[in-house]
Amino acid sequence: MVHKISSQNYPIIQEWIDRGSRVLDLGCGDGSLLEALVNTKQVDGIGVEISHDMILKCIQKGICVYQADIDKDLSEWVDGSFDYVVLNATLQVITRPYKVISEMLRVGRFAVISISNFGYARNRMRVLSQGRVSSRVRLSGCWHDTPVLRFVSIREFISSLEEIGVEIMDARYFFPMNIVSRSRWPLYNLLAREGIFKLRRA
Amino acid sequence: MTDSRTHVETQILSVERPFRFESGDIIPRLDIAYETYGSLNERRDNAVLIEHALSGDAHAAFYHEGDRKPGWWDCMIGPGKAFDTDRWFVICSNVIGGCKGTTGPSSVDPATGKPYGLTFPPMSIRDMVEVQRILLKHLGIDKLKCIAGGSMGGMQALQFFCDYPFQFESFICIASAMKHSAQQIAFNEVGRRAIMADPRWNGGNYYGAAPPEGGLSVARMIGHITYLSEQMMQEKFGRIRKDKESRAVFRPSFEVEHYLDYQGVSFVKRFDANSYLYITNAIDNFDLRSSLSSRGRFRGHGRQRGQHMEDMRSKRGLVISFTSDWLYPSSQSKEIVQFFTALNVQVSYTEVATEHGHDAFLTDYHQPSEIIQGFLSSLSEKSPSPCRTSIGS
Repeated sequence: MVHKISSQNYPIIQEWIDRGSRVLDLGCGDGSLLEALVNTKQVDGIGVEISHDMILKCIQKGICVYQADIDKDLSEWVDGSFDYVVLNATLQVITRPYKVISEMLRVGRFAVISISNFGYARNRMRVLSQGRVSSRVRLSGCWHDTPVLRFVSIREFISSLEEIGVEIMDARYFFPMNIVSRSRWPLYNLLAREGIFKLRRA
Repeated sequence: MTDSRTHVETQILSVERPFRFESGDIIPRLDIAYETYGSLNERRDNAVLIEHALSGDAHAAFYHEGDRKPGWWDCMIGPGKAFDTDRWFVICSNVIGGCKGTTGPSSVDPATGKPYGLTFPPMSIRDMVEVQRILLKHLGIDKLKCIAGGSMGGMQALQFFCDYPFQFESFICIASAMKHSAQQIAFNEVGRRAIMADPRWNGGNYYGAAPPEGGLSVARMIGHITYLSEQMMQEKFGRIRKDKESRAVFRPSFEVEHYLDYQGVSFVKRFDANSYLYITNAIDNFDLRSSLSSRGRFRGHGRQRGQHMEDMRSKRGLVISFTSDWLYPSSQSKEIVQFFTALNVQVSYTEVATEHGHDAFLTDYHQPSEIIQGFLSSLSEKSPSPCRTSIGS
């Protein structure tokens, strides 16, 4: 699983999520985000995970987890079951992102999605100089075995959200040297490594 | 260590007062067969109740004196195992209507001095639960760490947990369902018909004579087909023939025929045909959702629904299913998860990959053990008091 960039987002997600709300964390990994949210925001949280090893870790921590394939099994949750549905550092492994985003906003009032920016300058340089999508760009593995299927830039992602009728309520952009900005700076699609978005239906 | 085996004996609790069934029928007295493993701590808060499936009994773990085989869930119950008897006081009892020590159709009716047979009242999963409440009271246990079971045992766990949520910190439900599907009822009905079609069954009145072994063994054979996966059967037996030379027509010749025959024959030695009818009937009639909302409900805590739901809030649940279990498919386990999640129970769900079909709940202990150990440990760490207050309050 790809969780390299996930934990830097925890403080932002914690800031966004209201105390005591119901949270579904898609691709929850070892449950550390939910654990943080339970501790700081007393949320009622459930993780969705496909890997047995990760599920075991969640259960050992006392984190509630549901074994499922995000691409297929979200239909089991009733409309509006959650306040927040989180997809942190997981969009890149999803087969049908539009379906998943629309499902997130069906089962939850708000969605939180973080993405790694394929349009980031260093990624562009790596592709340009090496002539291939290296594992640094891809986040993990080789072309044939990586779980990462989706390469999206922040600009593309934002225009896609508009296209599918999803409104950005709040966002953070991660620039080099640990600079985090709320607003889209000039050249953000070139300079931001990652972005995280709080979303709702427009 | 020459003998690391731990021995145990089935205890009988004699209840010399009437027991009222959910149907309203009453029997004057009751025996409850049970076993316990491990020891109850001073705070009396480390008890775990295990529920058995259709053909199970109180002998869940360890060895009976002189036996070569341990109890039916010995792979899961014992020191260092899923239900670690060094930490938990594990209790298992035979269900009412059974034939392994707890009163059932083969028991003697004090009014007539003869076995009940079909005069035994039809019982429900909830009746099984009520009988276990009597046992828990006798053992002096009000609050349990967990209630756990597979298949019909899972149904009892769910019913008990829902009727008396304040008594449990958590439940574990393995390879089970909220209610039987048409297919599940159909298989049970074929089994019942096989028994009733056996002339020796004689309207359930065969005690003291030859029991309907033919019918019961056919019922068990059908059951066994549904407990295995197609793939496992193919791998285990294929088209292998046992006695190639045999000229006899319609005698078991394929390996799989011998296997089923053996399962049927060995079952009739240890099980009562009427118990099979009563218990499968209880399973088919089980419907958790409607049992909780039915107006005629006279048992269970919190008849006013709101109070009841509040007790369930923030309790913990674990639901496990098996990929190749087509008798109790994963979709039924997911339905359980959705039901309890909607009630604010903190439910986790995992689907274990296996080829062993429904039987996996008895045989595939490795992955479920890890999960169950983790689950039970997280309970004791996270919530030292058995009754947690609800989140956010």
